[in-house]
Amino acid sequence: MFIKRQLAIVVMISMGFLALAGQFINSDNLREFTDKDAPQWYMIIAAFAAFLGCINLLQLHSTKVIRRKKDWQYSIFTLVGFLLMIFFGFLYNGSTVGLGPHLKNEFSAFYWMYNYVYLPLSSTMFALLAFFVASASYRAFRIRNFEATLLLISGVLLMLGRVPIGALIPWWTVIIIYVSILFALFASKIKNKQVFFYSYFGANIFILILGFLLGWHVNLPSFLSIPLIQEWIMAVPATAGSRAIMIGIALGVVAQSFRIITGRERSILGD
Amino acid sequence: MKKINIYKDFILFFTFPVILIILYFINPSQLFVTGNQTSFIAILISCVTFEFFIRKAKNGENFYMRPIPAMQAMEEAVGRATEMGSSVLFVPGISGLDEIDTISGVIILGHVAGMVAEYEADLHVPCCVPIVMEAAKESCKEAYLKKGRPDLYNDSKIHYVTDDQFAYAAGVNGIMLREKPAAVFYQGKFYAESLLLAETGSSVGAIQIAGTGSSSQIPFFVTSCDYVLIGEEFYAASAYLSGSPEMIGSIKGQDYVKLLCMVLIGFVVLVSFFNFLNITQLDISSFFKINISN
Repeated sequence: MFIKRQLAIVVMISMGFLALAGQFINSDNLREFTDKDAPQWYMIIAAFAAFLGCINLLQLHSTKVIRRKKDWQYSIFTLVGFLLMIFFGFLYNGSTVGLGPHLKNEFSAFYWMYNYVYLPLSSTMFALLAFFVASASYRAFRIRNFEATLLLISGVLLMLGRVPIGALIPWWTVIIIYVSILFALFASKIKNKQVFFYSYFGANIFILILGFLLGWHVNLPSFLSIPLIQEWIMAVPATAGSRAIMIGIALGVVAQSFRIITGRERSILGD
Repeated sequence: MKKINIYKDFILFFTFPVILIILYFINPSQLFVTGNQTSFIAILISCVTFEFFIRKAKNGENFYMRPIPAMQAMEEAVGRATEMGSSVLFVPGISGLDEIDTISGVIILGHVAGMVAEYEADLHVPCCVPIVMEAAKESCKEAYLKKGRPDLYNDSKIHYVTDDQFAYAAGVNGIMLREKPAAVFYQGKFYAESLLLAETGSSVGAIQIAGTGSSSQIPFFVTSCDYVLIGEEFYAASAYLSGSPEMIGSIKGQDYVKLLCMVLIGFVVLVSFFNFLNITQLDISSFFKINISN
């Protein structure tokens, strides 16, 4: 009981304080410990745990196959894949170099498996992300409320600003986009469709004439350039939002670490 | 007695930190790392504030905790899974225990496992890192034991999948599509696989609660999940769920440190504005820079 509970807590607290002290105490030994020794200890423990992970995987899936549990067929694929890579990694070489360096030799069977089986499978999963991004964007961009509308507008401007065609969009199109957005926001307030149409049309004409008079077609103001708008969205509102979250995260990390190294948060040890 | 306590508190929360800061600046026999004073002061102020509010909470002071929908929904999600006769899936992210996010995730897992034990539902925890699997097993075992239901604990349901990011995503997606869990928790460190997982969970109709410290993945979770613990909420979750006064005190302390940060940001903005108007010429950003020289 002492080893499982008290000793674990003592180790957790002392390691926490040592790691923190390593940042502020000017001692080479301490820094060596926090920068090199402690991560190495973690790696050694993680290596043992990796062995446990492999055993767990084999045990779980072989039991599933032997007992014909639900969906046991999928476990055959896992087991075959696992054993095949062990075979090519430890037993069969296929190249002229010795076992060990053969893992990085392009003529070895292991390398072939890595290049022609593992990488395409991994890339396939990664490529699926594009479709998931599309479906997630559709859900996020659906106009339900004011926030979703803002998201849609900034999303469209960002997409246009990041592609070459964005720079080719003329200034008068951007003006029409602005006016359209403005009228879209107030559309529900204007009941008479005729009034709405005339005011929308009139506003567009008025601002376009104003633009010509102010010489916007010669000296393009930055708010009419889609790539510049995109840059501004990324540099100002997006950065402000992400920094607020980052500050919150940093504070949360400090508070959580404080709770752990003072031994108040012990549930990680199952206490 | 009360007077002694006030003196004790004064020494602990004011005199001691001030002495430490003075010592750091004097730096006798080059004991401290120079150039790291800002970090030292920031961490010291934060820790003293946390400790102060923890003490206050311990002494019986009640603190108001803003209700966080994601945390309130956790029990609801487990209850829904029980009613539907489906399992609860907990995804602890793809990083090891050297990441604070994973540690927070495993801590939350302990609380979720406790709820699952209470409701007699099924819990499934596929892990990406073996060392996380071992910690998760220990955490769940204790949670079941604490709720008086060690008989419900199933060791084989907390298992290792693979270390590879996308293979893990494929494995967990497979589990979701086959088992159709009623509730899915994503609590830990996530990278590009976050959307792959969350969209699949959404497609099987599960109630999804996410929490991560990876700021770049938060938008994906917000889009696909029903509830998300954003930023510091994720780290406060375990303290919030435990309900113990000392833990809640630390969250209150965290809020005060946040207030201090806001005041400092306001001060920097003000000084920058004055600099812009040529009223002052103060390089305020140099105060917040870290310049370790030895």
